[in-house]
Formats: sequence, C-alpha cells, structure tokens
Amino acid sequence: MASRAQRMPKSLRIASSLFVLFWFILAAFPFAWTVWGSFKVELDFFSIADWTNAITGERTQAVYGSSFTDTGYAGAWIQEEFWRNVLNTGIVCFFVVTISLTIGTLGGYALSRSTYNYTFWLLITALIFRAMPPITLVAGYLLPFFEWNVWGILPTTIIVLVAINQPFTLWMLHSFFKNIPSELDESAKVDGCNQFQAFRRVIIPVMWPGVITTGLFSFLLAYNDFAVGAMLLSESNRTMVPAIAAFLGTTQTEGNVMFAVAAVVSATVPLFILVMFFQRQIVGGLTAGAVKG
Amino acid sequence: MAEIQLRNLSKRWGAFVGVENFDLTIADKEFLVLLGPSGCGKTTTMRMIAGLEDATEGDILVDGNRVNELEPKDRDVAMVFQSYALYPNMNVYENIRFPLKVRGIDPATHDEKVRRASAMVELDDFLHRKPAELSGGQRQRVALARAIVREPNVFLMDEPLSNLDAKLRVSTRAQIKNLSHELAVTTIYVTHDQIEAMTLADRVVIMKQGVVQQVGTPVDIYDKPANAFVASFIGSPAMNLIDGEIKDGVFTAQNTTVSGLNAPDGPVTLGFRAEDANVTENGQSGEINAPIYTLELLGDSTMVSVRIGGQLVSVKADKTFRSEIDDKVSLHIHTEHCHLFDAKTGARLGE
Repeated sequence: MASRAQRMPKSLRIASSLFVLFWFILAAFPFAWTVWGSFKVELDFFSIADWTNAITGERTQAVYGSSFTDTGYAGAWIQEEFWRNVLNTGIVCFFVVTISLTIGTLGGYALSRSTYNYTFWLLITALIFRAMPPITLVAGYLLPFFEWNVWGILPTTIIVLVAINQPFTLWMLHSFFKNIPSELDESAKVDGCNQFQAFRRVIIPVMWPGVITTGLFSFLLAYNDFAVGAMLLSESNRTMVPAIAAFLGTTQTEGNVMFAVAAVVSATVPLFILVMFFQRQIVGGLTAGAVKG
Repeated sequence: MAEIQLRNLSKRWGAFVGVENFDLTIADKEFLVLLGPSGCGKTTTMRMIAGLEDATEGDILVDGNRVNELEPKDRDVAMVFQSYALYPNMNVYENIRFPLKVRGIDPATHDEKVRRASAMVELDDFLHRKPAELSGGQRQRVALARAIVREPNVFLMDEPLSNLDAKLRVSTRAQIKNLSHELAVTTIYVTHDQIEAMTLADRVVIMKQGVVQQVGTPVDIYDKPANAFVASFIGSPAMNLIDGEIKDGVFTAQNTTVSGLNAPDGPVTLGFRAEDANVTENGQSGEINAPIYTLELLGDSTMVSVRIGGQLVSVKADKTFRSEIDDKVSLHIHTEHCHLFDAKTGARLGE
C-alpha cells in the first residue's frame, strides 16, 4: 500500500485518468471506426446523406439484408487476389529482415570492437543516409534499374529496402554491442574460441533482445514501406501497402474503396498480434541501452 | 610446465608508451606479481602475454617457443578478468565447462573435470545458478574455476580481488595462495595492492609509467627498495621520505638532524620505515623534534605522524603512548635501517 504521503490528491488522479481515457479514444478511434466500417457498403461508410449510416449500416441492410457484409473482404482477397500482395510482403519482409540482421550484427559488432577512428565517420555517414527521405534514393535508382531490366521484381525492392534500412540497424546494433563489455570476447578467446566462435557462442546469446528488437523495426520498415514498393514494383508484384493505395486510386466501381478498407484492416491485424507477442522484447530492447544491465 | 621469457617487450600507441623494454624470465611454477599504480603498464604486459594485445617490439617465449603470432587460444593460458567476464546466459556449470567444450575435449571427461574444479573453489552448491544470481565472491570463484578446469600451462590474473569487499578479499587471497600451491602452475598476477603482492608473490615486479623499477622477492623489495618510488609504494604505511642535505655524514632537514650516515655530500632523500624508529622517552632528544601532526590508534600500536617539509613522517609507537596534536615530540631513527636515495633520480645510494 502506498503511504498517505505518496498518494496523489483525488482531483489529480481523476484528471490523469480522464486524460488517459481521452488519449486512448483519440488513438484507437480511427482504427475501430475502420474495422466497423469495413463490414459495410461504400454508401454507408462514406455516406453523404447521414453519417450515422456508417454505424447503423442502413444501405448495407437494404442491399444484403443484414447490417454486416463481408463483400469488401471477399472482393479484395478473392476478386482482386490480395493474397498475392500479402505473399509478396511476406517475401520482402523475410529477406529484408534476414539480410539486414546478418549485415547489421556482423557490421555492428565489428564497429563496436574496432579501435580505429574511421568507425566514427562510418557511423556518421550511415546516419546521414538514414536521415534522407527514401524517395530521394529511389528516384536515382529508377533509370539504371530500367536499363538493367531489373525493374518491377521483388529482389530489386529487397535490395533497396535493405540499403535504406541498413544504417538504422547498424546504429542500433552497434549501440547494443557497445553495452557488452569486450572482456566477454576476450575471455572467450582465452578460453579457446577464435574470433567468430566468440561472436557466435558468447556474444550473440547475450545479444538476443537487441537482435529481436532491431529485427522487429526492420520488419516494420519493410512491412509499411510505400515509396519504394510503389515506385519499383510492377502491378503483378505489388506488396500490400502499394496495392491498398491502388484500390483507392480507382473509384469508378463501388466495391474498390471498400476493398481498400478491408485490405487495410487485413494488413493491420498481423501487426497487432506481432507487437503484443513481442512487447516484452521491444520494451526490454528499447530500454537496454538506457540502463546498465 | 612453462617458463615464460619476455625479451625487450614494448608496447606503444603512437607516441604514448604503454610498456618500455620489459625483459624478464619467469621460471616454471613461479608466482609472479606485477605491481604498480594504475596506468603503469602492468595489465598491458599481461594482455600481451595472453595475446589480447600485440607487442610493438620484442618477443614473448613460452618454453623457448616464440608465441607473438599465436592466437590467445593457442597459447595455452587461462585468464581471470577483473570484471570476471562470466557468460551471463550460461549457468555456473556451463561457464566452467565452456573451455572444455570449445576446445573439443572428450565430452565423457567434462563432468568429472568440472566437478573437480568447482570442488576446489567450493562452488558445488551453486552449479545450477546463473551468474546474475551469485554474489561478487562467488562470481570470482566461478572465474577461477573456469580458469583451472582445463589445467593450462600459465595462469593470468588481472586484479581478481579488486571488486571484492575488504573482508572477502583477505579470504579469497588466502584461497588463491593455497590454490596456486596445489596446482603448481606458472602464475602471473596483476595488482595495484602492495599487500596482495607481498603476501602472494614469489617475485614482485614493480612498474611505473611502463618502466620496470625493481624485480625481486617481497623481502628484497621491502628491505632494499631500488629507488624512492618503490620505497614509497611498498609497505603499510609506505616508507617515510625526507628531502634534505648531507654534509660530512650528517643529514639535515627541517627539524631533523641524522648523523652517522655514509654518503657523499649533497642533496639526498632519506628514507626509513615507521617500525625502524621510535618515540624517545624521558625527554631524551632524538633525530627529529617536531609538533605532532596526527595520532592514529591502530590497536596493536599507535602511529605518530609529524610533518617535515610538507611530507608526512609516521613512526610506530607503543600502544600505550598518548599525547595531543601539536604537542612536541622527539623521534629516534635507527640509523642502521636508513635508506638514502638520490634527490634527483630517486635511485638508491650506497651498497
């Protein structure tokens, strides 16, 4: 039990609770609204006559005899074959995360253990590239990619995403490695490891939280990417986010906007599950640098 | 079986000298202590022997074979680090077993070896704990067990006791001494604590700013310090050093006149230990007459200190001695136990 002195005044407690509640509604409302609306027809969700139609589903009732319909999902997933885009995103994410982490752990470890001055400048250069908007890089890539005939395919996008993502992974993993005392490597070496064994058997097991956190951020970057995918992928190879944008872009038919809404919901659900599943690692990883473990 | 030879070993980082021209032969089964203040190059020397640092110049020989180019793992040394460097993801058992595992030693013998090592450092009850669940002293013992488990040729210990509290330090020190006797392996031990050096060593190497000052047995170093630095570093309290002038065998400084010394005329530093002097009784006049600066009761004796030319001079008096600060006191120095050092270079004068 908190003592009297430590307890907050009642008014402050009510005020802070109200603020948290307000903030929660503000943050959750758009998503909740989208989920609810994704089961309606477009004339309800984007109703000009009466906005409450989006809640009650009057038109949906009139067309399908029920205030909920899965036509948005069916259209997106079956008619427009949204599963292909999901699959593409899966492939892109898998390779971006794998390649980023491989280069990032090896590079971050090397930079953290190096005694040369140029490591500092390498990291600063990486930071500059990280600060640039991705689109600046993509514009420069377009022409050579056309000429080499590698435009529109997934491997090209994966390479570009890795390039954009690498400075961040390098920085993040570098600071994680910095927190591991170099005596641990040295001890492993004296105990009989070569440099690589010391890295794999002693350093990496200690590094897991950092690797998972960094991997998750790489995943989110690849998952949420729009600029690179939209510019570099042909229509048949699109990932989810550019595909959703394409649904929105053609408004001639009734279903398409609802396809986009349904697809947005489909794309967001895995993220929720992922973040909830890994929340301990994310928080642990984010604060690992701040407090000495 | 390992005799280590260091031949003109040097380490430089640009213009900064870490270790300068270290030349020494460490006999098989010897317990050698590298002693010096922080930044004197003692740890660098050890790291060069371990192979964690490249030597800028000079050779390291183990049993006559040059090992400069060998990886740490191929030098057959075991090291205990100041921070223990235990693997936090493994339990105590796996930590101790790690060197056996990575060196591909027959797995059938692992259990027996680990248990023997853990028994030697009395860790049997903690084998399933993670390092984070151990106290400082226990972690230190895990590091020791990990070092001894594969019976290496050379032990390197880098200030293994400095992270322990005072009481534990004494008992662990005794344990290390006993362990080294039992194992009879060449050991190099780095410390800045002169008591550890005195109690553990067969021979002590005293270093200052990368340069070896003196090599000798603890008794040698205590009784015949090679220079004023060694004299001021060894002993508790350290040797009293008074700057003054000698003329016709008589040393004079502020409040001080010591006669019967055998040295040429000129400025010198006079050194004597606290136990080689006493407080005079019944108003007799000794070599030093000065007001008391401070009095410290040590239990078995009383330490009386005066200030001579800015230097603190301490003398051991009887435990019943009582006086007040600023009271005049007269101190008698046993001239036969006096040391003289060159005022400029600090080098020992005479015999």
